[in-house]
Amino acid sequence: MIISKRYLTCCVALLMFAASAVTIAQNHPAGGAKELELIAVLKSDAAKGEKAITCKRLAIYGTDKSVPALAPLLGDKELSSWARIALEAIPGPVADTALRNAMGKLQGRLLVGVINSIAVRRDVRAVNSLVQKLHDANPDVASAAAVALGHIGGKQAAKALTKSLASAPTAVRSAVAEGCILCAEGCLANDSTTDAVKLYDKVRQADVPDQRHLEAIRGAILARRSAGVPLLIEQLRSEDKKRLGIGLRTARELGGRDVTGALAVELARLSPDRRPLLLLAIADRNDSAVLPTVRKAAEGGPKDLRITAINILIRLGDVSCIPILLEAATEDDAELQQAATETLVRLPGKDTDTDLLARLPQAKGKLKQVLIELVGQRQISEGLPAVASSLQDADAGIRGAAVRTISIIGQDRQTADLVKLLQKTDSSTERAGINKALLAISGRCGTGCIRHLRPLTQSRDNELHMIGLHALAIVGGPEALAAVKSAIESAEPAVQDEAVRILSTWPNNWPQDSEAGQALLMLATSAEKMPHQVLGLRGYLQYLRGNKKLSNEQKAAKVKDVRSHIKRPEEERQAIAVLAEAPSVGSLELLTTLADDPAVAEEAYLAIVRIAGREIGGVSKDRRREVLQTVAAKSGNNGTKQKARKALSGVR
Amino acid sequence: MCKERVSLNRRRFLKTAVQTGVCLAIPQVIPGTALGKDGSVAPSERIVLGAIGIGNRGRYDLSCFLREPDLRCVAVCDVRGDNRKRAKDQVDAQNGDKDCATYIDMRELLARDDIDAVLIATGPNWHVTAATMAARAGKDVYCEKPCTKNIAQSLVLADVFHRTGRVFQAGTQRRSLPNFAYAIELARTGKLGKLLTVHAHPGGLGTKMSGWLPAEPEPPREQVDWDMYLGPAAWRPYTRKLMNAFHFEKGGGLVGGGCLEWGSHCVDLCQLANDADDTAPVEYEPVNGQLHARYANGVKLVMRNDGWLPMGSCPVRFEGETGWVETGDNAEFGASSQSLLLRRGTKIPGYPADFHVRNFLDCVKTRALTRANANAACWAHIACHAANIALFLDRKVKYDPKKNEFIGDEQANRLRSEALREPWRI
Repeated sequence: MIISKRYLTCCVALLMFAASAVTIAQNHPAGGAKELELIAVLKSDAAKGEKAITCKRLAIYGTDKSVPALAPLLGDKELSSWARIALEAIPGPVADTALRNAMGKLQGRLLVGVINSIAVRRDVRAVNSLVQKLHDANPDVASAAAVALGHIGGKQAAKALTKSLASAPTAVRSAVAEGCILCAEGCLANDSTTDAVKLYDKVRQADVPDQRHLEAIRGAILARRSAGVPLLIEQLRSEDKKRLGIGLRTARELGGRDVTGALAVELARLSPDRRPLLLLAIADRNDSAVLPTVRKAAEGGPKDLRITAINILIRLGDVSCIPILLEAATEDDAELQQAATETLVRLPGKDTDTDLLARLPQAKGKLKQVLIELVGQRQISEGLPAVASSLQDADAGIRGAAVRTISIIGQDRQTADLVKLLQKTDSSTERAGINKALLAISGRCGTGCIRHLRPLTQSRDNELHMIGLHALAIVGGPEALAAVKSAIESAEPAVQDEAVRILSTWPNNWPQDSEAGQALLMLATSAEKMPHQVLGLRGYLQYLRGNKKLSNEQKAAKVKDVRSHIKRPEEERQAIAVLAEAPSVGSLELLTTLADDPAVAEEAYLAIVRIAGREIGGVSKDRRREVLQTVAAKSGNNGTKQKARKALSGVR
Repeated sequence: MCKERVSLNRRRFLKTAVQTGVCLAIPQVIPGTALGKDGSVAPSERIVLGAIGIGNRGRYDLSCFLREPDLRCVAVCDVRGDNRKRAKDQVDAQNGDKDCATYIDMRELLARDDIDAVLIATGPNWHVTAATMAARAGKDVYCEKPCTKNIAQSLVLADVFHRTGRVFQAGTQRRSLPNFAYAIELARTGKLGKLLTVHAHPGGLGTKMSGWLPAEPEPPREQVDWDMYLGPAAWRPYTRKLMNAFHFEKGGGLVGGGCLEWGSHCVDLCQLANDADDTAPVEYEPVNGQLHARYANGVKLVMRNDGWLPMGSCPVRFEGETGWVETGDNAEFGASSQSLLLRRGTKIPGYPADFHVRNFLDCVKTRALTRANANAACWAHIACHAANIALFLDRKVKYDPKKNEFIGDEQANRLRSEALREPWRI
């Protein structure tokens, strides 16, 4: 696209408000013509804002041709940074030359900026000038030059920097040390290890800020490779926390199996409070040889170290760690148990599953309990038969673990095993665990469980009967409903009450089950006990609300049928909720009567506005206006009043 | 951009970072007693914090830090007077004194020897510059995201923290939240089968450019230090409209937008799910309002704004050969099978940063790599920047993560870096 005069004019305005998207690539197809247009902007008397953004565009499209237009801007404190955006990006020696030339003309911050750009471009031909700038009276300039020399690297830069380490003013020395460290990295990249070590060591010995020392220590260790171990150990033993810190960091980086070995030896020598820290560092070494060290730490010794090691095994451990972890998981210490179990649950690999399963038949006591729990937590379905047979174990702890595991991975046929166990036990704890497991399996396996649950619904033990009913309620369906309805007729009040409670929430599970609706209606209208009536009514209203087969008019009619039973505000609110979601003539009329009760009037008003605010078949506009006017007049809620007025204005 | 110099053992160090990231859902690795967290903490064992850039987000982060018993904040720094006052009041209230120092210029705060670590929540324009300055000053750094403005800065960030040995935590706190960690663990441990596609919600894929607005009278320095606010951003006159640090120069002058604001979270999570904390996708292509990328291992990254389950903001989805999982900021899950969610753990909605802050403080003590360490942040940001460049150029680009350059694409390569305003450097 050719930049027209109009574009040039508009560009200023655009830039004024341009936090907006600018798709340069789309607006400006590639090519030299565009560059010339952009150069023309820089040479024109365009506003600075326009020139600024033009520089950014030249960062993409500029070539050597742009440099003469950009270079003069380096001395402009408002545009210098923009010009450097382009000059840093434009490849080739012409841009390098422009920046070098500017170095000779500028002072202060602008000079620092140019030096920084030279550093980014790694312009070797700038070294002489930068060496001179090392002695600049302005510490910012000298510091920038030092760092730039470090980035560029090479023998001349290194020599100048090491010389300045001792002689540079205090304000500059940190940057000189940084330059030395950068130079050393350059040496390492070029396989000049000896030079790198010399540079690092000079910084270590220089009077520079401590952070530079730490960087040099790290570099000196890494550059020496295995020979750096003594220096590394020195840091790990240092009283200075910062040196310990850089030691721990470097222990993670210094490669080599011999280094791993040396660190493992040091682990035993270090003070106890530092051992977990070093162990964590060793574990991060990405070396398979660390596993024995971690395993050993997990096996015995100070508790902190053991727990650290056990946690590390989550990511480093394998099947060889299982005996140690099982040992810890069966110890009396709760923290160790928890850590070891967590690690066993997360230890990767199918071979781990196989190993754990193989141990199960011979296991006894606490170990067996742990193994059964692991079968569940790791979801090892092959272990299900062994776990199911453990339901017969004489040890209550093992039975409990088996119940928990079956609740996770059990299938419908395990329902029968659980029911048998339930019928045998008197322990409330065990019964609660089995109840939980039956609910879980019933929810997961559905109707397949019903026949296994039947003995419970026929039990004379009320508690078992109720457990069976709850499990059936989770399964749902006609057979389950029949069992619950039958329980409502039970001679046992406790069973009867529980059955009513279960039925009252039935629609949650089977909202389309009309049989449930009928049973709830019966309760609501004919139950002998008042609480049963209330629960029946609530369940029925909930059933109506969730029923998608009923039309809005049918819902309103059914609410009307039970209106005489709806006496308390709690149920009135439920009725309002049903009606509010079923816009119809019947709903509107019922709501106007419900609004007569001050306890629920505001809820009813809101529902009326919701319904009358829209057109409804069979309701005249006059009637809509009438009810909305009533709400606007009577409601004590300003929000509802406003909504009513707004709705009124919409009834035309 | 000139070619990047390979730092000492960078590849090795990166691999370490990846390893550390595997066990995300685990509790504190080192026992609390060894860290001095058992009840009261001796003053000598406390981490001393300075907070830089303390606007709304910064004060939230700061509140997470202040809740930790082994931390004491002693100084706050902001270019805005109102922010300084609010942050000082917050810290003083916690400390029960009036001693919290205030600074306009972060260099003065960084020069204090008594400060161990800094929180940087300045706004994206300053993040990488402030973070690298802090590292060179010997401070450990918790830095809000997006951490960098371009690819070159991302690489320098990793290099500087590598060189200085300082601890870095990017403010991508979802790495420390159980639901995201659990979904990632499912992807990484083969529970979904071979991983095929990872999906990220970048929250808008537009690209933006911070411009040069009409000059307005500059307020007194005590109220707003405009020069320090601009910091490394190219110069422009004071304008109140640009004072929203949250948006100013986000993701770079030419290529900001949702990619960086949200991508630094959700693309970051996808990176981790794909065990890609040491690399980035090799291809990026805008496709019908989405951005499709591909990793060298064949896994596809899809950045899209719609079609998500109702999981709140910042959702991610991981799909494997045998299953899938999706989660978001409400901490709910969608999954191909409920059995996948058996060990989903505690539900913690609302993306709090407390766990992430705790992980940072623990690593300050152990010197271990944080969950969102500089290397991980580097590559997640590179993925976002490369995606942004593809969107900006509106075409497919190919990236070589070993050479850190776009293949045969000079325009894209020139967008990898941008000069900083004097006197700032990274």
